Amino acid sequence: MNTVALAQMTQDDLRSEILYTWETARETWAIPLSLGPVDISINKIIWFLWIGAAVTFLIMFVGARILKDRPGAYQVIVEDIYGFGRNHLGGQMAEEGRKWFPYTLTLFVFVLTLNVLGLLPNSYPVTSNLSVTLVLALCTFLLVQQQGIARNGLGGYLKSWLPGGLPDNAFGKFLIAPFLFLIEAMSRLFSQPATLAVRLYANMLAGSLLIYVFLSLILYFGAATALVSVPVTVVFSAFKLFVSILQAYIFAILSQVYIEMAMFGEEH
Amino acid sequence: MGTVFDPLNTSVYFWQIITFLILLYLLYKYVYPPIQEQIQKRQSQIERAIDEAEKTRSEARELLAEYRRQIEEARGEARRILEESRKQGAAQRERIRTEAQQEGDRIIQRAREEITRERNTALREVRGEVAGMVVEATERVLGREVDRDEHERLISEALDSLEAEVAGGISRDESQRV
Repeated sequence: MNTVALAQMTQDDLRSEILYTWETARETWAIPLSLGPVDISINKIIWFLWIGAAVTFLIMFVGARILKDRPGAYQVIVEDIYGFGRNHLGGQMAEEGRKWFPYTLTLFVFVLTLNVLGLLPNSYPVTSNLSVTLVLALCTFLLVQQQGIARNGLGGYLKSWLPGGLPDNAFGKFLIAPFLFLIEAMSRLFSQPATLAVRLYANMLAGSLLIYVFLSLILYFGAATALVSVPVTVVFSAFKLFVSILQAYIFAILSQVYIEMAMFGEEH
Repeated sequence: MGTVFDPLNTSVYFWQIITFLILLYLLYKYVYPPIQEQIQKRQSQIERAIDEAEKTRSEARELLAEYRRQIEEARGEARRILEESRKQGAAQRERIRTEAQQEGDRIIQRAREEITRERNTALREVRGEVAGMVVEATERVLGREVDRDEHERLISEALDSLEAEVAGGISRDESQRV
């Protein structure tokens, strides 16, 4: 393959440059730890997870500490975040579902913080790690099942999976109903958490990758490429900021919807 | 692609679960309750302020109505006082006029009586004088002394009849004048 004369690196080098953040994360700032046979080493991924959690907590905690009757700008922002969770995340299907908005609001702020932290240079975009998003989706999944069973009982919860309006005969009862139940079970037990996790992971990974791809092209094609790459990167960074907010919102609102669907499935 | 597709990173699972649970716990315990409380407090404050403002407004309206009523009352009172003093003034004027009239009448009456008395006195004096003069003249004409008492009686009778004539004339004049 005859590439541009300036190219000093092979395509494999280029690939490892692009994936540098993810390939080195496990070995960077690492403290090897293990719990029996299970590896629980602290590395760049975990550090940034903690930074994200700490920032999330501080943003909210400082806002909750400086509360005054005549709010300042910062208090208004924190109260607006809270009000956003209360009014726009909670209560999707019924007023009772509003009691879970603190959980989904925490998800929203946490995911948003992690997403935005990933925009910083030399950071690790934590939400572009599938394990991270899977854990969050798993938490939501467990909460969904627990709420569905706690509110409707196991039988009522499973019954609510069947859509209404099936033909009231043997055909409907013994052929269509089990089939639909199976589809619904797959959707609720597998698709919901999987799509929740993969949607966030893929979006954030794609955003970061696009930025690194365009910047790495400078290494591959030479300095002149910067004239195109840098403006494109700026645009993509702005776009990634937008996607960060959007995906955090989608993750939170879907969590809330899943929880309330499990709680009030029978009534709708 | 092992590093980009990383679904089974045990250390991430372990730390992520712990971190997320701690974060949830901290936010649930230290962040959401004070914010919720603050929002509720402000809401109740605003509600209280609105209630207070409404109360104040209704009070002000009552006060205004009260003042209007008082002003109306004061106006009525003023009208009443004015009316009364006008009436009193008219009555006083009437009374003064009547009194003055009476006083005048009384003065005229008194003057008239005075005049009558003076005239009578004057007449009596004139009569005495005239009787004396007539007796004297008669004595001089006759050259001798006359019975003074008898003469004076005759003269007095003559004067009486004269006086009666004169008095009739005067009283007729007076009745025409009044």
